[in-house]
Amino acid sequence: MAASEHIVGRGIGNKLILFTVVLVAVIWMLPIAWAVILSFKSNAELMISTGSAFHPPYTIKNYADIFQTSGVFRWLWNSTVVSVGVTAGILILSSLAGYGFARAEFKGRDVIFVLVLLGLAVPEQAVIIARHQMFSDLKMHNTYPAIILPGLSSAFGVFLMTQYFKAIPKDIDEAAMLDNASRFKIFWKVLLPLTIPAQATLGIFSFLGAWNDYLWPLISATKPEMFTITVGIASTQTNFAQSEGLGFLMAQAVFAGLPVFIVYLFFQKYIVRAVAGAAIS
Amino acid sequence: MRKLTTALLAGLVVTAGAGAAFAADKTEISVSRFFGACEADYGTVTDVTKANGECGIITALTNKFNAESTTTVVKPEIVEWPGYDQLTARIRSGEPPVISVMHEAVISDYSSRGLLEPLDDDFAKAGIDINDMTDAARQGVSKDGKIYAMPFDTHTWLWHINLNLFKQAGLLDEAGKPILPKSTDELFKQAEQFKEKTGKPYFISTLANETAFYTRTFDTLLYQQNADFFADPNKVNFSSPEAKTAAQLLADIYSKDLTTKNQDYAASVSSFAAGEGGVFICGTWLIDSYFQESKKEGVALSNGYAATAFPQIYPGSPRVWADGHSWVLLKQDLTDAQRASAIEFMKFLWDNNYEWARTGHLPIRKSIIDSAEFKGLPYRADIASLAINGTALPSAVKRQFSIQDIEGEEVGSAMRGDKTIDAALTDAETRINELLANAK
Repeated sequence: MAASEHIVGRGIGNKLILFTVVLVAVIWMLPIAWAVILSFKSNAELMISTGSAFHPPYTIKNYADIFQTSGVFRWLWNSTVVSVGVTAGILILSSLAGYGFARAEFKGRDVIFVLVLLGLAVPEQAVIIARHQMFSDLKMHNTYPAIILPGLSSAFGVFLMTQYFKAIPKDIDEAAMLDNASRFKIFWKVLLPLTIPAQATLGIFSFLGAWNDYLWPLISATKPEMFTITVGIASTQTNFAQSEGLGFLMAQAVFAGLPVFIVYLFFQKYIVRAVAGAAIS
Repeated sequence: MRKLTTALLAGLVVTAGAGAAFAADKTEISVSRFFGACEADYGTVTDVTKANGECGIITALTNKFNAESTTTVVKPEIVEWPGYDQLTARIRSGEPPVISVMHEAVISDYSSRGLLEPLDDDFAKAGIDINDMTDAARQGVSKDGKIYAMPFDTHTWLWHINLNLFKQAGLLDEAGKPILPKSTDELFKQAEQFKEKTGKPYFISTLANETAFYTRTFDTLLYQQNADFFADPNKVNFSSPEAKTAAQLLADIYSKDLTTKNQDYAASVSSFAAGEGGVFICGTWLIDSYFQESKKEGVALSNGYAATAFPQIYPGSPRVWADGHSWVLLKQDLTDAQRASAIEFMKFLWDNNYEWARTGHLPIRKSIIDSAEFKGLPYRADIASLAINGTALPSAVKRQFSIQDIEGEEVGSAMRGDKTIDAALTDAETRINELLANAK
């Protein structure tokens, strides 16, 4: 009797948790759903009242207008090049650095690691003027390297990969060494494949960060042909977009977010696994 | 048939070649601007009369110029409003645009650092008569006795009025014109009457998430009392009785519930269109949108909208806050051809200033303001005086955008009662003077 009451109680508890989770998810989704609905309404209607979003007519003109903006595909391409470049660079550098900090014995390792971690505490805004001047002196603005290179110094990436390599038992390295494997071979063939979940997590966050980045591309990629999608889309807004161009503004937001959404769809398995793994550990 | 095909192909090749050679002969200049992109609607429109709104009209003007000029091609480089971070970054990286749009309030920040070309001689050679510039425009683009920009418009603060609600409140005269206050006493009396008769607040105000309303209204109230709060361009003076009077007026409007509260810009624009208040204090740029709305049947503004100059409620002067858009020539190594092309484009904008005035902004040429064509536009006869009474901060005052932000924050605190009026004005004065002390 007591056992069945316990099971019933647990069932109610689970349902309550499920209900709460669904409720929170719905609340979280509301702004996104609102943006999507508004994106299918005409600017003129929304200027008078956003309440018109709840009834027809709906239109795809806002999306059609985006595709008729001459630079938009160029901006998408630029964002793709930059995001892929930043992601690949971070994965390579962070994996190498993480392996070094986790496995290599060298003088000053701990001090250097702390210095790297201090990078987490320095906001981009604090160094952006000096960085801009440096790239100006090198005459590199409005080039892909200028947009990509600053993003490669990822303190978070180094920290994550270091911790992940540390969690892999050293016995595996030692077994490989007994088989006469070189240090690089151990890194490349043995340990790196074991870090794929961490690589996926880091890769996804790096890609999203690079895709959504606004401040640095705004002041480095200042020619329209070098705009990333975030800067390009923002440039097309009219001065009073929030009131007179709301439908177009929302369509732009949805459009700019779609590639990221697609990336999430493909990699959600890794994201969920990584987040769950982080929670358990 | 074969010969015909060959001839056609040859013709096409020759035409394409000639076209390319013709295009190559033209000088390309980059023109950086905000106002958005609207290629979908106006990408190929060269008949400016068919364009509407800021984005549409500037796009059509550029298309028309490119179609007509035999020497110049303008390449628009569109940036997000206001675009000054990007412009400064471009100047620092040695890749500025040839021409950039610029608020007149910002010109002194760039001209004082030698980043802009003076244009007096170029304008004289191009036949641009600077004596035809309105006082507001000429003051806005002149710094240290030189002209640093081609003015494009004057935009000011005015009253958008819902005549249907004014009628309900008994605030229309026999001619159907709104009865407007001529003193603060009348203002409160009429506002209370409006609230009593309609159940709605007299004012709709943008009080949330931005500071423009507070600054522009406060400045207007100071101008109306003839308060010279920037007698010294390096120091602001908000310790005057006039400043306290103006801040107290705003605080009273708020505390007596004579205005909407907690509305941001978009909400207040919609709120007025939906008939939720009688007067929306905002800018010239909304005139056309509300006029279009008033032509619809069955909406709150149906046949019941008017725009009018900010009523003078103090005995001093009818002056009102103003700023303007202008076009500057960035200092860099330009060829003679590039400079000539830049001036050619500015002259074109000067010649077509009436078209831009259709946005709702005021023209910068006296001859256009006095023209029947301009006065024939809706409400323009009622607000033409603003081109004379529109007043910007003195041109020697630096960091005007930042000053306006600080002023708006503090006046907002006073209006909402977050700070006492004395404390807010003292804080505004202290913060602005600290900013100016560090401004180079």
